[in-house]
Amino acid sequence: MIEMHDVWKVYDNGVEALRGINVKIDRGEFVYIVGPSGAGKSTFIKLMYREEKPTHGVVLINGVNVKRVRDWKIPHVRRKIGVVFQDFKLLNMTAYDNVAFALEAIETPRRKIRPRVEEVLELVGLSDRMFAYPSQLSGGEQQRVAIARAIVNNPSFLIADEPTGNLDPENSWDIMYLLEEINKRGTTIVMATHNKEIVNTLRQRVIAIEQGIIVRDEEGGEYGYED
Amino acid sequence: MKIDTMIRHFREAYRGVRRNAWMSFAAISAVAVTLFIFGIFLVFAFNIRYMTHELDKQVAIRASLVPQLTPQQQDELLKNIKALPKVKEAKLVPKEQGLKIMKEAWGEDGEEFFAGLEGDKNPFPDVIEVQPKDPQQTEELAKELDNFPNGIERVDYGEAVTDRLLNFSGWVRNVVLIFGLGLATLAAFLISNTIKLTIIARRQEIEIMRLVGASNWFIRWPFFIEGAFIGVVGAIVPTTLVLVLYQAALTSLGAGEQYAILKLMPMLSLGINVSLSIFALGAAIGMLGSMISVRRFLKI
Ligand SMILES: Nc1ncnc2c1ncn2[C@@H]1O[C@H](COP(=O)(O)OP(=O)(O)OP(=O)(O)O)[C@@H](O)[C@H]1O
Ligand SMILES: [Mg+2]
Repeated sequence: MIEMHDVWKVYDNGVEALRGINVKIDRGEFVYIVGPSGAGKSTFIKLMYREEKPTHGVVLINGVNVKRVRDWKIPHVRRKIGVVFQDFKLLNMTAYDNVAFALEAIETPRRKIRPRVEEVLELVGLSDRMFAYPSQLSGGEQQRVAIARAIVNNPSFLIADEPTGNLDPENSWDIMYLLEEINKRGTTIVMATHNKEIVNTLRQRVIAIEQGIIVRDEEGGEYGYED
Repeated sequence: MKIDTMIRHFREAYRGVRRNAWMSFAAISAVAVTLFIFGIFLVFAFNIRYMTHELDKQVAIRASLVPQLTPQQQDELLKNIKALPKVKEAKLVPKEQGLKIMKEAWGEDGEEFFAGLEGDKNPFPDVIEVQPKDPQQTEELAKELDNFPNGIERVDYGEAVTDRLLNFSGWVRNVVLIFGLGLATLAAFLISNTIKLTIIARRQEIEIMRLVGASNWFIRWPFFIEGAFIGVVGAIVPTTLVLVLYQAALTSLGAGEQYAILKLMPMLSLGINVSLSIFALGAAIGMLGSMISVRRFLKI
């Protein structure tokens, strides 16, 4: 569960990116974060995986106040959260190695790595592209590798900042079906997006942010903007 | 730490060294020069300490007499010293004998070297050598002799000799230490620079590691190992060089073994002490270099 109580984020340059956010996202939910450019969506996402600290207010991840967590414990908070970006952020190694990298980084026993990596790569539909490098994969395939890497550790949350932002419509839909599948298996998904068609078709909870304030929060809501 | 993880850290560290081969080479060279100077210094330091101990073992007090004493007065003084409760034995060594001992010590050249110093020109004082009953009381006894009403010019004993040895080496030591510390700092900064290059080259990997929840130390370790590796590799050449030079010094000074003052530390114990110290210093300089870079450039 993710909770925010009166959360403010003021960047060093004085920009008030978030201004009094109150929200509660339950286990197993699928949530779209929408809003105009510069509204504070990415900032909202960054607070969830503790890339940024709230200037004021409380962010709770599974009941843990992330602001109070000691620096050396932050990695353990992050292990509960998978993150996916618009630009994939893959390393220049094979799909298999990219996913295995995440398990090695958290010191998973070696014998457990291979079966698990093969399992997630199959889940994202890349069993036959395991040893391809990012440059040999399409955008959609690269994003699927990134998703595999994000969920390989079985996190409770998958957080995505415009995961379809760099993809054509067909690949975008593939990614969305994959995220739906992952959500059905119990992972909470929070996704910032500008994709009107997806939000209006795959109906989920929609949280709209404008100028750092939540202006709308409805189950099965519409995208609501014209871009 | 798990074995797998450790192997991985070493592999990553090695990759880092390979990637910046030239910078690593420069850093290793700087470390080598620094450690060579420290090594030479250590040879002196260990030997001085060793000699001090050796001298302490054979302490005798040498009381130099004032030149104006008549033979009768000297005998009187000797008798008085022998009467002291702490004295085991005391004997008069006239200046002629002092000169003779010196000539013999210098071997063949001695006769020529000290020619013309006989008789009135003899620069050596008459000396009374005193052996204390208990070596522990050497210092006390020396003070007692120093406070003798008259006749004694100065009192030397093991401690004083070694003190002077150490005093003499004092300024040399300070110069070498300051110079060495300067070099060590330079070497540490060169290392920190190669580590910085590695950190920059790896920034994407580091970002992903943070993202997936790698512990801070998991991310840092390879950089520390890389720094230590550079330091330790940099220690190989200077260690070898210092030990070879020392062996050569031992061999060529072998002829002069009769001077107690030049009794050098044996190869084995010096070798162990100096190599361990150089390698530890190398690793420390390396780790210091890593620390500088990790603190400045690795944002976790
Ligand atoms: N690191 C930062 N330092 C200073 N200001 C920032 C920083 N990151 C974001 N901002 C500012 O905070 C505000 C919110 O930015 P944010 O990236 O959260 O918006 P967004 O909703 O994700 O926009 P977009 O839809 O374009 O991605 C903007 O005004 C932005 O310029
Ligand atoms: Mg954004």
